[in-house]
Amino acid sequence: MGAPKLPWIRSGSIPASKAGLNSENSYHPEEQIIYTTMEKDVKVYVWDLPVRLYHWINAVCIVILMVTGIYIGKPFAAASIPEEAYYSNLMGWARYIHFFTAFVFTAAFIYRMFWCFAGNKFARFNPLRLLFWKDLWETIKFYLFLKNKKPHFMGHNPLAFLSYWIFNYLGSAIIILTGFYMYAEPQKQSVLGKLFAWVPYIFGDSYSLRSWHHLVAWAFMLFIVLHVYLAFRDDYLERCGSISSMFTGYKTEPKHAVGEEHDK
Amino acid sequence: MKRQRTVYEAAIESGVSRRDFLKMCTALAATLGLEYSQSKQVVHAMENGSRVPVVWLQFQDCTGCSESFIRSSQPKVESVLLDMISLEYTEVLSAASGQQVEDNMKQVLKDYKGKYILAVEGSIPEDDYLAVGGKSAKETLREMAEDAMAVVAYGSCSSWGGIPGANPNPTGAKPVTGFINDTPVILVPGCPPIAEVMTGVIAHIITFGKLPELDVFGRPKAFYRHRIHDKCNRRAYFDAGLFVESFDDEGAKQGYCLYKVGCKGPTTYNSCAEMRWNGGVSYPIQSGNPCIGCSEKDFWDNGPFYTRRAKIPGTQTTINPDAVGLGVVGLATAGVAVHAAGTVVKKKLDDKRGENE
Repeated sequence: MGAPKLPWIRSGSIPASKAGLNSENSYHPEEQIIYTTMEKDVKVYVWDLPVRLYHWINAVCIVILMVTGIYIGKPFAAASIPEEAYYSNLMGWARYIHFFTAFVFTAAFIYRMFWCFAGNKFARFNPLRLLFWKDLWETIKFYLFLKNKKPHFMGHNPLAFLSYWIFNYLGSAIIILTGFYMYAEPQKQSVLGKLFAWVPYIFGDSYSLRSWHHLVAWAFMLFIVLHVYLAFRDDYLERCGSISSMFTGYKTEPKHAVGEEHDK
Repeated sequence: MKRQRTVYEAAIESGVSRRDFLKMCTALAATLGLEYSQSKQVVHAMENGSRVPVVWLQFQDCTGCSESFIRSSQPKVESVLLDMISLEYTEVLSAASGQQVEDNMKQVLKDYKGKYILAVEGSIPEDDYLAVGGKSAKETLREMAEDAMAVVAYGSCSSWGGIPGANPNPTGAKPVTGFINDTPVILVPGCPPIAEVMTGVIAHIITFGKLPELDVFGRPKAFYRHRIHDKCNRRAYFDAGLFVESFDDEGAKQGYCLYKVGCKGPTTYNSCAEMRWNGGVSYPIQSGNPCIGCSEKDFWDNGPFYTRRAKIPGTQTTINPDAVGLGVVGLATAGVAVHAAGTVVKKKLDDKRGENE
């Protein structure tokens, strides 16, 4: 096996310590990868605690927001006590839970954005490098079962990075901006209302805003299907513990991935 | 030219008592959304301000806005037409016609330069589909708007393009704002706008001598700051979770929320729920019909009136977001299943080859 070779690097020219050169390992070369050596492999600390916390808080929030959001958009259940509005507050509760969760979701999102700068090298990415886009192309070929030279990635592969930025971070930004605008819609003169008063300039009138919010919510559902599948697929093919790594933070990797000599 | 009578003088001359005049001013203050203590300001303005000349142009419209305007009850349309404004040009109400009335419009440009209000009803075609008095709509609008104090766009057509501007927009209809850059424009959308809102905007200009405060889209905040949904008389049923499912069910009889039968109240900015129609008698939702959102941009294209839809951003196409969303997720799941099977097969083959080697 050994390190996968990239086409533009002549074989044998990579020193062992740089084995597995890819867009992610070569990003911030001054930063050491934290790992512990085991009998055959190494355990690499990939996901910081804040990243893992964000992941699960975000996941729970998305599920709650989607269920309450679908109810708000298309109420699929009616209050059990008919005739008098006084006794029930079904939509009221759906909205309340939606709003409360939205604040948690937003706080988690802001924290993750901060971690894009402060986190370890696996939490950051740099799309401005040629290597990133070459790796991206190899990854796409890998997913299409084509012959590819995809290096092994310890953190996210470039396609995953891109999908997080488009679906998750850009999507979150759109849904947060439109959401908070709608939240403050009845009180435009409030602080929150003034803070988001500019949102219609980008997303249009109230109807268009809601359409953005609703459609991006479904984009999140699409993302979940792909994300969960690919995470399991990665675990199945690489046997690196992708799934458990989101709980423990550690991935099991072959020794050469961190530049150690093979025992073989 | 003789001195212009003040609004007060005009009212007294036409037989209104001082007492009734004060009542009118107080009611007007309430319509404008002012505090009771501010009604003094209204009285002062009416006593000293002279009538404001108004030129009312009609382009691609149905005259529905004019029809609504003449049903104003507070202030009464008579007092607006005879006391507050001096309607110099209008196609619907003027007795004169032809050359006479066209000449009068020209006269306004000379006599009241920078002092008259231009009311516009109907959208304006980009191509020359409409000409009045031998002049294209575009030309007339540009000429009259140039020296106006302000342009008041009455109705959804002149504010957003409205029904003539609906997909596929055969005439290339555009709102007033598509042609005017230098003159301030006040949008008073609605199909038609509420009569009291139409007169109220003019009353505000007379009272304060300046334009009302506008929101991000250029609508007066006094009348368009809330959504129908925020002030709806059926709102309690929305919060409770009691909805009309179809127009002949028990909920419809009980007066439940019309959200599920396509009410556009949550996305529509207008005063219907507060001021109501025909002198405060009722409004669509109170009468059991969902709001169709007629004062919003592209309301005609925002999907069937009696269904909740979402618009694909950047287009005028509406879809059922949940059906489409579920469909996309379903397709993705099917794709994932196929891809997963492919992955397993490929891995098995690769492993086998590895063993053989």
